[in-house]
Amino acid sequence: MNAKASKNQLTSIEPAYYEAVTEAIRKEAVKILKEETVVGVVGYLPGRRKGTATPALVTSVEEAEKLIFSPACVNNLSVYLTKAKKGVLKQGKVGIVAKGCDMRALAGLMTESQLQREDLFIIGVVCPGVYGFGVERTGTLTEANIARKCRECTVHMPEGADVAAGTHAELADLTPEEAEEMARIEAMPQAERWAFWKEHFSRCIRCMACRQVCPFCYCEQCLCDKNRPQAVESSPRPAGNMAWHLVRAMHLAGRCGGCAECERVCPMDIPLNLLNRRMAKELKELYDYEAGLAPVEKGPLNQYKEDDDQSFIK
Amino acid sequence: MHDFEPKIVAFVCTWCTYAGADLAGTSRMQYPPNVRVLKFPCTGRIDPVFILRAFQKGADGVLVSGCHPGDCHYMAGNFHARRRFAAFRALLDFIGVDLNRLQFSWVSAAEGGKWVEVVTDLTERVRTMGPMPEFKELEHEELWSTFAEATAGKSTGLNITADKSQVLNTPGLKEAYDSIS
Repeated sequence: MNAKASKNQLTSIEPAYYEAVTEAIRKEAVKILKEETVVGVVGYLPGRRKGTATPALVTSVEEAEKLIFSPACVNNLSVYLTKAKKGVLKQGKVGIVAKGCDMRALAGLMTESQLQREDLFIIGVVCPGVYGFGVERTGTLTEANIARKCRECTVHMPEGADVAAGTHAELADLTPEEAEEMARIEAMPQAERWAFWKEHFSRCIRCMACRQVCPFCYCEQCLCDKNRPQAVESSPRPAGNMAWHLVRAMHLAGRCGGCAECERVCPMDIPLNLLNRRMAKELKELYDYEAGLAPVEKGPLNQYKEDDDQSFIK
Repeated sequence: MHDFEPKIVAFVCTWCTYAGADLAGTSRMQYPPNVRVLKFPCTGRIDPVFILRAFQKGADGVLVSGCHPGDCHYMAGNFHARRRFAAFRALLDFIGVDLNRLQFSWVSAAEGGKWVEVVTDLTERVRTMGPMPEFKELEHEELWSTFAEATAGKSTGLNITADKSQVLNTPGLKEAYDSIS
């Protein structure tokens, strides 16, 4: 049985793993609620349909015993601690369930003084990956139904959490789809690249779901909503769409933790995480900086070195 | 060779490059009149969105120019701008914009000659490259849909029947298009 189990771990993640993680999360959530360390825990509850999960703030022990973790727990919960939900933090210390990529968002938000570490109790999840969009939800995570972003995940083990739920588990030999697609686009002639993005952006309906779901889009007034002067046209038309997506990518440069929530919620299937990844890669190359691995004092675009590359400046 | 006059938009900082351009003027140096100068408090104030806006509104080339490193009136504005524009260039390149149309430079208040050189270089380079159609086309497509609605007599825009050539011959469209290009 052991030989089989270890083999399974290579090609698929069985429901038993998620059950173990669920147990660990429940135990910890119940404990911190009972001890009144926290006023509530942001986590996942089962969704109404089978095989789904929904984000929730639980404040009682009974509710905490219903918390789950499954491959359907796709949401990045850190967004519930910013923007409209800021009130949650006013009640006192809050527990939060965080996968590796959510942990990067939390660290990024701490970097930007949007969150304080002492206000949080972080239940880290050693996450083997989550479901992609429109796949069969069998309870078992395999190469066929894992999300694109999880194929190249570098943060399966969340760093800096108070407790970690689960043990190390990872799917083996996944094709790095996003890296391959990025390389493909970079290899295109310039005009083709333009055509590629123009086609994608032309479908944008400017629903702003990408902005709404992003933990880093917490500005109370967005530049792109301003109309005096209007920097970015707000209706879903070609020029405004292009400008919006460029501004979005630029504002996330050096901040985005790569949770790919923007891409997941996009109703028009625009590969937004490709842009984020490209910018992250560029900042890694230029300034040796990777966002969200740990809270730092300043992001790469808020600081400078006198000997930064200026080969492009005449 | 293209028979066209490039439109160059220059975003300059008030302390160095603007003074440098002013010096070029008072020294009666000659340089191409294609450049439109916009004065900013500092290169650190120049948001990448300004560059996009310039391209959308018909610029064929954009110049961003400020103080030499170490000479910034606000100590570090140009250093921050340098990082931001390095990242922005990568983004534009990934989207498929020719970076030869976008020039960054350091021109001090004493470098009237360098200002002339930078502007001349960029203007000539853009002249040989020809007009920049990409961003203008996006604006054009917006106009096209507006006029298609008008000619098809629809107010909803959901049922666009007019074809593109028909629309391009519509009175008023050419003027509207010319006004942005």
